[in-house]
Amino acid sequence: MTAHILTPEELALLTLVQNELVPAYGDLPAAGTLGATLTVDAYLAEQPRLRRPLLTALRAIEVRSGKTPFAELDAGRRVEVLRQVENADPESFSELVKQTYNAYYTRPDVQASLGIDGPPQPMGFRLPAFDESRLARVRAMEKLWRDA
Amino acid sequence: MAAPELDSDVLIVGSGASGAAAAWSLSRRGLRVTCLEQGRWVDPSDYAHSRPDYELARQTSFAKDPNVRSWAEDYPINNSGTPIHPLMVNAVGGSTVHWSGHFPRMRPSDFRVKTLDGVADDWPFTYWDLEPYYDLNDSMVGVSGLAGDPGNPPRSPRQTPPLAFDAGCEAYLRGLEKLGWHWWPCDNALISEPFGENRSPCNCCGPCDIGCPIGAMSSAHVTYWPKALAQGVQLITHARVEQITVDRAGRATGALYYDDQGVRRSHTAGVVVMAANGVGTPRLLLNSTSARFPNGLANNSGVVGAYLMFHPVAFVSGVFEEVVNGQRGPIGGLMNCQEFYETDLARGFVRGFELQLSRSVGPLSVANGGILGHPVPWGSEHHEALRSRYAHTMTTSVMLEDLPEPENRVTLDPELTDAHGIPAPRVEYRAGENTQRMLEFSIARARELFEAAGAVEILVDPLVQESGWHLMGTCRMGDDPERSVINGWGQAHECPNLFVIDGSTFTTSAAVNPTSTIQAVALRCADWLGRNYRAVAA
Repeated sequence: MTAHILTPEELALLTLVQNELVPAYGDLPAAGTLGATLTVDAYLAEQPRLRRPLLTALRAIEVRSGKTPFAELDAGRRVEVLRQVENADPESFSELVKQTYNAYYTRPDVQASLGIDGPPQPMGFRLPAFDESRLARVRAMEKLWRDA
Repeated sequence: MAAPELDSDVLIVGSGASGAAAAWSLSRRGLRVTCLEQGRWVDPSDYAHSRPDYELARQTSFAKDPNVRSWAEDYPINNSGTPIHPLMVNAVGGSTVHWSGHFPRMRPSDFRVKTLDGVADDWPFTYWDLEPYYDLNDSMVGVSGLAGDPGNPPRSPRQTPPLAFDAGCEAYLRGLEKLGWHWWPCDNALISEPFGENRSPCNCCGPCDIGCPIGAMSSAHVTYWPKALAQGVQLITHARVEQITVDRAGRATGALYYDDQGVRRSHTAGVVVMAANGVGTPRLLLNSTSARFPNGLANNSGVVGAYLMFHPVAFVSGVFEEVVNGQRGPIGGLMNCQEFYETDLARGFVRGFELQLSRSVGPLSVANGGILGHPVPWGSEHHEALRSRYAHTMTTSVMLEDLPEPENRVTLDPELTDAHGIPAPRVEYRAGENTQRMLEFSIARARELFEAAGAVEILVDPLVQESGWHLMGTCRMGDDPERSVINGWGQAHECPNLFVIDGSTFTTSAAVNPTSTIQAVALRCADWLGRNYRAVAA
């Protein structure tokens, strides 16, 4: 997958941001390292409406980082910067989070970590049949509807 | 000189739940029927269920909101004046292409709210008048469920048995049995066993709301349309209607529409039937101005577009310690609780509500808040929070009866248009005081249920923005031409060869999903029109 919209600098920043949004878990690397960055870049190519909020959020993160680049901040300070941006512009930031989740949770390896062994079709799921005996109490209720 | 031959006997605008049923019914009688549909057939390959990114379809290609989905065949809606956004699908089969398939019937009292409770208006017919058409419709589409519910009048055996009963049902049942409340397995427009042609029974894959790739969902494009086409109905897709045309006497003569090449065409018919939903139908009538109808066709009363009703919906979700696998099985088709359906003034409001005890969604939608309205937090807590909700959550939809109020309405936007330059609808709506009191009470009852069921966390979205599936009341039925647009047969008071048969017709909204009633009403109107066509078209 090649970049479409984001510059190398923006891609690098987004990777770091995504790693804070969805950190590593068990054997799974954090979202950015896992490849969510390029997936989001592809979303930006396909859906131009996403560009403004995501680019706005990334710029705001750079600005809030101050003289020290986000990449050079320690983990606690990175989270602090992200919280500040979230509070200042919740709309743009929530879109950044949403697209990160979109890229992360559509990956088969992430789904497998949740016990999902494939998409819903064609297999579906086999569930127990309805047991009418469970209705015994309700069947004995008086009629609840008004005739008219 | 002989009158020029008409293109069709009956022209239907819209191919969704009502248009499909009417096309089938009218063509059975040998009438020449044409249906204009602005959308297309949804291709089986369009469905996302076999892809790992299937949940993205909720945000993109199968988004509920046409303003978000933005298919070429969608039209924009100005929804800046409503907290509930109108939702619809513009395709063959209409909004039944992706829906939850809840298929309850209204109760007898729902048709007599003025007589029984002193509010709104009575319908011009009773439940019992409609009952044969409910039965006919069920037999055509295929319904899963179980007769014998003490919450509703007796009904004919369902075509297929109730859907599966799993861990999430057990969780709900703990609460229901402790509280002693009513519940019953839902009637669903979703087959659990073989029924009909080229359809497979539900295999419980889960996300019905992004369509059904196996034909288990009883959507109009897999139920009525194959039969209607076999009977000779002409279905023209990518046909965007601009206006209904009238002659000097004020009778409908047909429609002007844009075809798939953008060419503006005319289609003439003896009768025009509007089936474009509770927003689309008033939009087109309001856009059909003439010397005889300067305020829009059949709108000298000013009632077209007024009395818009939604079903205001709250989502209440319970998170359980145990795995309930709410993402497995039909998302909506589980159980109903109608303990609070009929009026009890001690509650502080008239009319009532139902609790739709439903399932949940996959991990992406859980992470984004999806059905819950509460995104999972990012950062160090993310994974534990996600895992506490995913596969551990069940969601109840609290569905309220919405009373008709003239200020809630569909008008034409003065600036916004669709791709063909046709004015877009503007929707203005606010929930009335009765609704707000009922909403508060009903959310408290859903909380009570989840507490009794042992939920460890309860999440509430008190008024769901993306819940405007049910578009009702904007060309309402009634006997009084000053307070209604059509009579009990769907016939416009002011234009006797114009009929309306979709959700616009509803005099009141009841507190249940409307599609089975929409189709039953459409069949009843079409039956009358079919028997009286010559007199109506003369």
